[in-house]
Formats: sequence, structure tokens, C-alpha cells
Amino acid sequence: MASRELHLELLLGKCVFDSTGNRVGRIEEVRAQQQGDDWVIVEYLVGIPAIVERLSAWNLGAGLLHLMGARNLHKGYRIPWEQLDLLDPEHPRLICTIDALKEISQQLERDAN
Amino acid sequence: MNKIREIALGIVTSIGGFLDVGAIATAAEAGSSFEFQLIWTIVLGTICVIALVEMSGRLAAVSKHTLADAVRERLGFNFFIFPLIAEVIVDFLVLGAEIGGVCIALQLVTGISFQWWALPVAFAIWLLLWKGNFSLIENGISFLGLITLAFVVATFKLRPALPAVAEGLLPTVPQQDTAHYLFIAVSILGALISPYLFYFYSSGAVEDKWDKSHLGVNRAVAGLGMGFGSVVSLGVLIVAAQVLHPRGIHVDSYEQAALMLTQPFGYWGFVLFAASLGIACFGAALEVSLDTAYILAQAFGWNWGESLHPKEAARFSFVYTVFVFLASLLMVVGIDPLQLTLFSMALTAVILPLTIIPFLVLMNDRSYVGDHCNGWISNSITIFTIVLTFVLAIVAIPLEVLGG
Amino acid sequence: MDVIRDVLDNQIVDRNQRKMGKVDGIVVELLEGQPPRLAYLETGVTTLAHRVHPRCARWVAAIASKWGAKHTEPFRIAWSKVRNIGIDVEVDLDAEQTPTLAYEVWLREYVIKHIPGGS
Repeated sequence: MASRELHLELLLGKCVFDSTGNRVGRIEEVRAQQQGDDWVIVEYLVGIPAIVERLSAWNLGAGLLHLMGARNLHKGYRIPWEQLDLLDPEHPRLICTIDALKEISQQLERDAN
Repeated sequence: MNKIREIALGIVTSIGGFLDVGAIATAAEAGSSFEFQLIWTIVLGTICVIALVEMSGRLAAVSKHTLADAVRERLGFNFFIFPLIAEVIVDFLVLGAEIGGVCIALQLVTGISFQWWALPVAFAIWLLLWKGNFSLIENGISFLGLITLAFVVATFKLRPALPAVAEGLLPTVPQQDTAHYLFIAVSILGALISPYLFYFYSSGAVEDKWDKSHLGVNRAVAGLGMGFGSVVSLGVLIVAAQVLHPRGIHVDSYEQAALMLTQPFGYWGFVLFAASLGIACFGAALEVSLDTAYILAQAFGWNWGESLHPKEAARFSFVYTVFVFLASLLMVVGIDPLQLTLFSMALTAVILPLTIIPFLVLMNDRSYVGDHCNGWISNSITIFTIVLTFVLAIVAIPLEVLGG
Repeated sequence: MDVIRDVLDNQIVDRNQRKMGKVDGIVVELLEGQPPRLAYLETGVTTLAHRVHPRCARWVAAIASKWGAKHTEPFRIAWSKVRNIGIDVEVDLDAEQTPTLAYEVWLREYVIKHIPGGS
């Protein structure tokens, strides 16, 4: 089984584009879970709210962002690991389209509730 | 009783960090040029500093991590590298200015040019850091720093008109000399709200092994310690207003500033001024040298600690050794200490926002401060200070050009 | 676990709570058809420099290769050695036996000890 290495800290901040070339957002956080003895990546968080989530100052952050004029705070995206193509780490690609991703995200939210 | 001794950390931070060459120079210039009108800037700066110092202490006591540790860990190296580089550059210039302050104090008393004193003073600073431990420095400087109360005593001897002093508490902007007034106001705030103060205080709290039980002490120390420095700064301003202003003496050099204590104390006033300046600057130099070593060690995860033997913290000790001697060269080559002081104050004002913004994140993060998150008062003061420092950062350089 | 927030840039401490650098990098193993696996923590000044700019990393490596301990390789800690992730990352290692303290030891032996009061 061919395996490659990747530096996660260099993935931080890289812009993700979908299969049709639309901009999805910047990678701000990586979520991992334990599976047996290993820890594996389950999803990547992308977009403005992901920064705020990383700073865990949602209320304060959203307040400040509104003050600074950021309107339309679109919800960030959660990209499941299998939907991100990291063949070229400098240019991560979403395998599906943004719309498909939205559907997947909504499904994940529904499953969680 | 032990906790009362903790006040020494507050006083030494205050004397080194709050009351340093910048605070003395700007307060003297404020009093001599504008009498009591700039008292409000000292009060404003004090409130901001007390709040931020208390937060630095709380962060260190609860998380056992210093401010620099926490900023890199929580906000990432890609953010931290900016305040880090800026702080090292500013520390270098400020250290040169503080060493200059000590040298000028020695020049005032002996007549020997400050340039000759630079290397011996640097050596003395280094020796104390090398051989001493944190408690020695903390308590030694706190004790010696009490001499700065000379300014407070002088204030009472000179009996300033209380109504005029009280008026100075209200922010007013004069019609004439507005640029110069605003420049001094910005300089005072830049001198009082020094980033190295917060990094140093949180490192000191970890050196002194503070924990949650010290939170009350932290509040007392932040308030009383910084309050002490503030009261002395106000003393400097009022004495300058009473003695220098009526004679039209503007503070263009430390020799002129030294005159201010001669009216209440005669010849000894000159010596008291030199002693106060020298000790305050010496304390500040120790603090700034340590601060640079602290933030570099904490940024890169090295072993650090002034109370450790140099061989147990080799990289940390090496950094302050090199730094002290390099900074002293600024004085050896003869750069005017007062000019360097004012320039480094303006530069400090420019980098301040980067230092304060992390407070808003860290002090609301439970993994660092647990149940001791900021209340709405602390958050409000922090946000206010961030806005204030943004304003200062924008106007500092233009005002230096227009009103300096 | 949020890897960027909770692991990256955090302080690494050994079994004796001795500091051994910060988590400068995280190496992930990409496998066919399987989720990426967290493989190693990496600590080293070149890793850190690379995050600023790749040219910065080359520059730092060049200086490090000529000065002091002449050590440029970052140190990797297998994820299996990670004992606990809290405010610090605790690993089941002894700092003195890793190259993370190469420069600390070099400075101690060749500079600090030669200064009076340093030994």
C-alpha cells in the first residue's frame, strides 16, 4: 500500500477549490479521532467560522467581525476526509462540488441530532 | 505574610516596567511644557496597565503558562512571529535607552561622560542576572526603588494648587501647541503601556510559582504595584510643573530635568534625581533583558528561568548575555539617550495592538483560565485598550514628525 | 480533537516534565482508501522556519549546519509516544536522550561553562 507523508502545519491556511474551480475557503482546523491505536483525521474545517472556532471566541469574535463590517457570515464547511484530494498539498481540491458538500454537511448535522 | 512579600513582584515590575526612563522623561516633559494638563493621560494609562497586568498574572497563575507561551500555543506561530520580532527589536532599543538612563545618572553625579559608563553598567546588569536569582532581583530593586518616593515627597513640599491639579484629571486639548501636546500624550501612553511589562510579569509569576491561590494577591499586587509607579510618575509631572514650567525650562536633556528636585531639596535634590533615575533605569534594564530572553525561550519551547543556574538554561542565559552587551553599544557609540527614549516610546506605541489583542482571546479561553475568565468589565477595558492602542499606533509616527 | 488548536504549537514535555521544544509540525501519513493517520510530532527550528517560508527554512538550515551543535534535522516523535494532550503535550521520552536539546547541551559545554560562575 503506497503511503505518502504530509505536513499538517503547512496545510493550514491553504485555499481549497472544488471540482469546478469554485473557491471553498481556507483550511483552518483539522479534526481527528481515535480509531484503535491510531488517531486519524475525520474532517477538515474550512472558512471564516473555522478561524473563530479555532479561537473559540464565537460570541466575541462574531461581535467583533460584525463591528468590522463583515456581513453575510456564511457558515464554514466541514469537509469529510474522503472528500479532500491532497495529491498536491499546495492546492487541496474538493472532490465534489460545493453544493454537494453542503448536502453532505446538512446530512452530517441531521445525523448528529 | 508570605503573600504580602509577593507585593515585591508588583513593585519591581512597576519600578522597572512602569516607572522607567520613558515614564520619567515623558512625565517631566509633560509637566514642564503643559503644567498639569496631561495628568489624565497618566491616570488613563495606569487604569489600562493595572487591568492588563492583572490579566497577565491571572493567566500565569491558573494555566502555569506565560503570556508568550500562551500566545504561540493558542494563536499559532504564524501569528506570534509578528509580535515576537517586533518585541525583540523594541526591547533592544528600550534596553539601550535604559542603560543610557543609568549612564546619564552616573554622568550627572560624576561628570564623566555617559559613553564611558555604558560597558561597566552593562557588565553590572549582566553580573546580577548571571549570579542572582529572581527573588534577589525582585526584592533588591523593589527596596532600592523606594528612593523614587522622593518625587512624591517633593510634591507635598511644593504645595501645588489642588484645583489646578484636579483640572488636569479631565482630558482637555489646548488651542496652542496642539501637535506637541498630543505627541506628549501619545508618548506617555506608549511609555506607560509597555508590552514587556506584561510578558515580564507573567514570567515572574511562573518563576515565583504562583497558582490559583494567588489570584487575590495578583489583584492586590497589580493594583498597588502599578499604583505605586503611577503615583511616582504623577509626582514627576507635578514637580516639573511647579519647578520647571514657571521658569520656562523645557526638558531637552536630562540635565534640565534634574533641576526639578533642587527647589524642594537643594543640592541633594540633584543627587536624589540621579539616584531615582539610575535605580529605576537599572531595574528596567534587568527587566527588559530578562524579557527578551523569556519571550525567545518561551516562543521556541526552551528551558528557561532566572532562578535556574545558567548551565541549566544555557540558551536562555546566552540570549540575555549577548543582548545586554549589544544594546550597551548603542550608548558606547554616543546615541543621545533622551532621543533614543522618545523614539522607542513611539515605536512601542506602533506595536502595542499586536500585544493586546491576544488578551481578548486568551482571557476568555477556559482551557487556559478555567473558571477565571474575564468578566464584562475586564473584557470592556481590554477592547477599549485595543481601540486606544490602534489609535496610538496610527498617530504615533506622524505626531513624532509634527510635534516631536 | 482539534489538531491545530490543541496540538500544534503546544509545549512538549518529557516524562520528567522537562521542556523539549514546541510542536513545530505534525506529520500525517496518507494511505489509499483510508483516513489520513497522525504519524509524528515534529520539533525543530527548520520545521518552524518552513512555516514562515521555504526559503527561510533553507537559510536557517544553512546557519545551523555551520554553528554550534551543527544539528539541522528536526526531531520526530511517533504519535504512539504521546501520553497526554492537555495544555502541554506529554511524551514518553527522556529529553536528554533526544537531539532536541542539542544546542542547549552544546552551549552549556562550550560557552556557559567557560564563563566565570557558569559551572
